[in-house]
Amino acid sequence: MPVHLQGPWSFLFGRLTLHAIPYDNVIILFAFTLAAVAGIAIVLPVLYFKKIPYLWREWITTVDHKKIGVMYIIVGLVMMFRGFFDGLMIRTQQVLADGPHSPHFLDASHGYIPPYHFDQIYSSHGTIMILFAVTPILTGLTNVIVPLQVGARDMAFPYMNALSLWLTAMGAALVMVSLFVGDFSDAGWSGLIPLTELPFSPGVGVDYWVWSIQISSIGTTLNAVNMIATIVMMRAPGMTWFRLPVFTWTTLSTNIIGLTAFPVLGVALAMLSCDRYIGTHFFTAGLGGNLMLYTNLFWIWGHPEVYFLVLPAFGIFSEIIPAFSHRPLFGYTTMVAATFAIAGIAWLVWLHHFFTMGAGPGVNTFFSVATMLVGVPTGVKVFNWVFTMYRGRLTFETPMLWCLGGLFMLLAGGLTGMMLAMPAIDYTVHNSVFVVAHFHCMVLLIAYAIFGAVIFWFPKVFGMQLDERSGKLFFWTFSTGSILVFVAMFALGFMGETRRLDYLYDPHMLPLLIIQEIGIGFYGLSVLIFAWMLFVSLRNRNTSLESDPWGTSRTLEWLTRTPVPFYNFAVTPQINARDELDWRRRSGLDLSHPDRFAPIHMPGNTMIPILIGICSFGLGFGMIWRIWWMAGGGLLAIIALVIFRSFQHTPGYMLQPGEIAAMERRTAASGIIAEQPSRPPLMEAGAH
Amino acid sequence: MAPVKCSHVKEHLSKWLTWPLVGLALIPLGGCGEEFRLFYPKGPVAAAQLKYTMIDVGIMLLIILPTTLMLCLFIWRYGKARKAAYDPDWAHSMTIELLIWGGPIAIVALLAVFTYESVIETNPYDPTVLRAPAGTQVPAQAPLEIDVITTDWQWFFIYPKQHIATIDDLVVPQGRVVRLRMTSTSVTNDFFIPQLAPMIDVMPGMQTRDAFSSDGPGTFTGFSADFSGAGFSWMQFSTRVMSGDGFSSWVAGVQAGQAQPNRGALSYAVFQKLAHPTLNIGAKPGYFASVDTGVFNRAVTDALNGLTYPVPADLTEKMAPDSGPSNQRRSSENGKGS
Amino acid sequence: MAIHQRPATPDSVLWQHEAEAHDDIATRTLGFWLYMMSDALIFAALFAAYGVLDQTTNLAGGPGAHQIVHPLAGFWQTLAVMTSVFAYSLASVAMKMRSQPGVILYITIALVLGLVFIGLELGDFARLIALGDGPDRSGFLSIYFVLIGTHGLHMAFGILWMLVMIVQVARSGFTPSIVARLLNLRMFWQFQASVWVCVYAFVYLRGAF
Repeated sequence: MPVHLQGPWSFLFGRLTLHAIPYDNVIILFAFTLAAVAGIAIVLPVLYFKKIPYLWREWITTVDHKKIGVMYIIVGLVMMFRGFFDGLMIRTQQVLADGPHSPHFLDASHGYIPPYHFDQIYSSHGTIMILFAVTPILTGLTNVIVPLQVGARDMAFPYMNALSLWLTAMGAALVMVSLFVGDFSDAGWSGLIPLTELPFSPGVGVDYWVWSIQISSIGTTLNAVNMIATIVMMRAPGMTWFRLPVFTWTTLSTNIIGLTAFPVLGVALAMLSCDRYIGTHFFTAGLGGNLMLYTNLFWIWGHPEVYFLVLPAFGIFSEIIPAFSHRPLFGYTTMVAATFAIAGIAWLVWLHHFFTMGAGPGVNTFFSVATMLVGVPTGVKVFNWVFTMYRGRLTFETPMLWCLGGLFMLLAGGLTGMMLAMPAIDYTVHNSVFVVAHFHCMVLLIAYAIFGAVIFWFPKVFGMQLDERSGKLFFWTFSTGSILVFVAMFALGFMGETRRLDYLYDPHMLPLLIIQEIGIGFYGLSVLIFAWMLFVSLRNRNTSLESDPWGTSRTLEWLTRTPVPFYNFAVTPQINARDELDWRRRSGLDLSHPDRFAPIHMPGNTMIPILIGICSFGLGFGMIWRIWWMAGGGLLAIIALVIFRSFQHTPGYMLQPGEIAAMERRTAASGIIAEQPSRPPLMEAGAH
Repeated sequence: MAPVKCSHVKEHLSKWLTWPLVGLALIPLGGCGEEFRLFYPKGPVAAAQLKYTMIDVGIMLLIILPTTLMLCLFIWRYGKARKAAYDPDWAHSMTIELLIWGGPIAIVALLAVFTYESVIETNPYDPTVLRAPAGTQVPAQAPLEIDVITTDWQWFFIYPKQHIATIDDLVVPQGRVVRLRMTSTSVTNDFFIPQLAPMIDVMPGMQTRDAFSSDGPGTFTGFSADFSGAGFSWMQFSTRVMSGDGFSSWVAGVQAGQAQPNRGALSYAVFQKLAHPTLNIGAKPGYFASVDTGVFNRAVTDALNGLTYPVPADLTEKMAPDSGPSNQRRSSENGKGS
Repeated sequence: MAIHQRPATPDSVLWQHEAEAHDDIATRTLGFWLYMMSDALIFAALFAAYGVLDQTTNLAGGPGAHQIVHPLAGFWQTLAVMTSVFAYSLASVAMKMRSQPGVILYITIALVLGLVFIGLELGDFARLIALGDGPDRSGFLSIYFVLIGTHGLHMAFGILWMLVMIVQVARSGFTPSIVARLLNLRMFWQFQASVWVCVYAFVYLRGAF
């Protein structure tokens, strides 16, 4: 049953040969050099300052939800940088390859990238930005914030949390490896069928795409289980459902989506793998396959996935806008209702991704109207944020700027989304860059929320604020880039430019393409400013911050000390109001601290998650290159590790009241950067 | 964190307002040219689509514009420095909540009506805009039927009644309804002529349909809108709309083998040779003076029976000049377009 | 600390000094329910795919459901699965009575019956593949093998889990972790039995009649 493959195969290395390493490609050589230099720049100081034991003990084997969240965000930001580079290359290729008289460089007949390479770039751009940048960053943010917002010590399953992280990270690692060993998929981020079938994509690209997504989405599903269980079971006393912060509500709904949607993606990709590995006929055009089945399954995941990403962003808006309006959120109850309405309707709209497949008027109308219905709760949310600002005292710190910018993005994305929802309009712009511009507005709004959230919660986690001046410069450069790139892209859509073109037939598009290129230049500038912002903030850091450095925050996470100690709350808070911190502040109780401490049970570190992660990387890599011994070994090792873990006695350890009192006095000593002062030897101390 | 100074706020706001306005200005400024194809429909279907675009945007602006204005106003009015009225508690109002739920629902209800109307009017399988208005007894000309087959990476247009076929060149008579039957021998493509015909997927082993007619003569670019592999960017065809007589003489010319380059007769065997992956750089046309019947149906049946035309590995991953036979073709054509 | 600003509020309004009352077993059970929810979605997607691919156009000249499934063959498998679930329920009863040998005995019976189930299924698969009707024959056979095979994989995983639990119960008795695992395994096993009932109804009965 194993299928016939083009090219050689050996037992030891599978399909992997030296030719798979594109050492002769100038662009990839440059990317490799960049990655190597960046890698060395990180590794050398670590070695020089002898920080490997610290990294191993405090980060890699940690089960602390805050550190795991931070690592998620770091993975996401690194991948976002990679995705940005892809975007830069796409834009540059298109501006160079416009019209029959366009120049050509390197191996390309137009522009500087040949089609097969260009197709990989845009496919990886989409895959990375959605699944390996935005998803991990949002997962990371919810990981850091939600347990604090509900007053929990940690997630419900700290060990599984670490496992989710390392699975996601290994998926991302596979995508990065595909840059230097073999190819990535050239069939679009959504895996256009039957282009992903073996006859049309005989290489390893699609396999890279499948396995990186499979592995990381198992991580995402486990995280969804964890997050829901945390919100349901781990709330502090008094934290009733209708006192939950809206960010926690959106996290809950988003993870319900994640829990139910990702398995469908897994099934679709597994069927595709069966087609590619054992020659089944799920999605082939002939021999009883049904290619629209893939498209349906993919978008049954794909559209909820959009709301999986956008709902936490809405939650972030709902936290930041009240904080900087100095007012409670307007219409809390409807906000929650709208959140769940969006999550519910998310399941009824998938077909609008292929109105052009030729379904009848009845079907198209149903999905069209269902799609438009999403606009109702979304509109409600926008109004709620606007009315939150009404009679407020708005201050425009950087997080607030990002949220307001995100609102404008949402308005633009909403307007164009309602256009696309109507099939008659969709027939003219479906698969055109108009659609691309529309969903970039939506994803950008998520990115805006992310930047706002990172800056907003940064002091809570690291005990220092980010520089406001460079932060604002970052915002304005980034926004200028967004406007230049995407306004021009909407216009190009009206010119009929379709997606994924490595060569553009119409020289009239050139002015707009140049505007886009300038825009992406602004994006590039903003990346530099972001790095500068981090540097300046670190140089001028003020680490003696109060619990609530912004002074106007409202929710529970700001109650504990800044930086948040590794045990979160010295004593579990009793919740009395929806905006607990605001309530305490106005009752004059915000400076009240507990007068006595009880022992705190902390989970111990474990190296099993990272080991399982590494084995899953081996499993994926072995399957991609059809190195069966490596894939089988990886799978067996994973099973063995899981069983081994179940035999381990993992009592954790107890933090004694005296230690807690001492750490509560020295605020920075228990932050997440610090080595935890009183950690007993792993897995020994503590009676249970 | 010190509060932001008043001048800062103004500066930010002015920036905020300037950029979108500059951006919005770009569209109408650039929109003068006919290269904004969607604004210049050349047939009833495309015109109906533009009409519904305008209606949809108009209705949506009813809610988007006030919201945007309100947002800008509140940002401006309630900046801390302006010392406007401040209410630290107000968080609920039944009236407002009814309005903010009711407003969008009303808008969606209105849009739903137009949606249904538009779906019927522009349904690619049977667009009612192409029907003669009720009551008028225009001697209806029978629609022109064309079979469309996409391969990797070319378009075959077969005129079954005229017994001719073309590659990458669609020629139709002005004013007459054109009905297309489409299939693919390779992967999914998407038929699209921005100024004439709506997008419809072209899928292997399946038949889809599309229909359009045109207002006047001209040449309009059409292409595949759904990515199909390495040669995708070159999957273009010119759509030439001719007068009725011009079309007839063109057909006669092709039948006589005068259209160049003339590729002779299109039997299914010839088609199968041509269906292998070909990068048609420059989208060069080709003409067939005669066509066997049933090429289209056999293409569908064979696809259903599992026939594929596999893409060689070097066209998907190592498209470097020295890595495979098909690249010789590519290299020889390298630079021809430039 | 500006202690003097504090009004005379009882400390208990602000802080909960008692040890946390999170029920570990309940949390783990909820987590497992959530996992099964996602698992159910996997099967839902597979059943949907089965519904789509179980048409005459998807046979591609190969055999259809009524030619390859026999309700009686499926019946023996159903019997094996159901008695296995029953045996596991007896193990749960034994756990309540804190009887280590009882638990081990009944789980072993459940395990053996599970093996019988998988053996019957593998026999079916081998017979079909020998006839040339493997998963690469047609779209319908692809989904037939993958749907039933996915369920079979779950069953195999459950059997492995039982093996581990037998060892753990024998070694450490009933610690909270082990009890939580035994409870989750019971849910898992019953869930797989329910999925099998769906398979039996949807594939075997619907195919045969």
